[in-house]
Amino acid sequence: MQRLHSIGIELERVSFLDHGYWVCESKFSVGASSEYLLGLYSIQEAAAQIPVTLFTESENKTVLDACAAPGGKTVQLADSMHNTGAIVALDVNKQRLTALANQLERCHVKNTVVYLLDARDVSQLKVRFDRILLDLPCSGNFATDRNWFNRRTMEDVERNASLQREILAQTVKVLGDDGEIVYSTCSLEPEEDELNIDWAIKNLGLQVDEINCHGQRALTNVLGKSLDGSVARCRRIWPGRTQGFFVCKLKRRETA
Amino acid sequence: MIKPIDDFVSRFGTKIGLDETFIVKRQGRYFLLDENVKRLASKDFCYAGVYLGEAKDGEFFPGFNLLNMIAQKNGNRINLEKKAEWLFICGRDVFGEGITTMIGSTKKGDYVLVLNSYGECLGFGKILRNLDGKRKGVAVENILDVGDFLRRER
Repeated sequence: MQRLHSIGIELERVSFLDHGYWVCESKFSVGASSEYLLGLYSIQEAAAQIPVTLFTESENKTVLDACAAPGGKTVQLADSMHNTGAIVALDVNKQRLTALANQLERCHVKNTVVYLLDARDVSQLKVRFDRILLDLPCSGNFATDRNWFNRRTMEDVERNASLQREILAQTVKVLGDDGEIVYSTCSLEPEEDELNIDWAIKNLGLQVDEINCHGQRALTNVLGKSLDGSVARCRRIWPGRTQGFFVCKLKRRETA
Repeated sequence: MIKPIDDFVSRFGTKIGLDETFIVKRQGRYFLLDENVKRLASKDFCYAGVYLGEAKDGEFFPGFNLLNMIAQKNGNRINLEKKAEWLFICGRDVFGEGITTMIGSTKKGDYVLVLNSYGECLGFGKILRNLDGKRKGVAVENILDVGDFLRRER
């Protein structure tokens, strides 16, 4: 912190993160300092830093980062695991995997294996995971995309919601006993958020865990539908100082 | 299998003693894996564990993790003052005036790690002239610096 201050970067602690700071002022791009290039810090949107913090104890675990590129959360995961255990990081876009590999090298990550693989095919790897991060491809939101209302259609939202359900359904199959899934999107569309979680509760034998993090409890009456009451345990983060975001933690349903 | 790495490291006047059983070569690129990562790394991975570098056309080109390992083993090194550090990570060669300390070989043709004032490895270069004499002028050719992380993605 002192070192960044000495080179003219003014930071402010993000109240809801243990290791996150807002960049209030900088005389140059914070993505081009020697400290950044040496891997002493990474740049990630504040709300997007929440998902990784929701896992219970991830050190020495086997973790899946199902849609990993460009790698901001993979690096954050490795850091939270103190480079122990192992992370399997997947993405379908070869070019974005180059960015992911660069992030891993820059940040001295040692515990990650990267595959060019669709998350829906994860069972091919024949691995059971203790923790699964599903930061899913989504429709985004207007806080980070000025042209959002011109570029997106309801068909896009439906298509993304469907893809998200497919990925969730396939990754549940490789979740180990007592495993945890953190599901997140940067979409504010209920189809990609609450409705998908309601579907997962009813079709995949999952339950929503209580989480204590930034954001409001999620919607349970939405688009004319009444959802499972436990969906309220998810968090909906409305755009403000952060982008819009949705996050929750899922586990296999406990049997009585 | 690791001869290209050993040969490269020896140019810094040191050895790092890598355990060959944990090194995997994939499409010319070398990775160091620990037991946990090795268990999960099947033959078609894109990246795994610690990237050590790449052998291309008979030459070995290191990753930054390997340079950091060499730094821990007291390979040849120079430390730079602040302005020279910035010029180096912008891809420029090192002028003798910017060098604050030198450890190990100062002989023309040898490799040196280039460190900042905190002792962090910024990259490496080749000594262009014996450095035990005058300090003026270009002294070390920049071969790789951390600014490469930005240039790679252009």
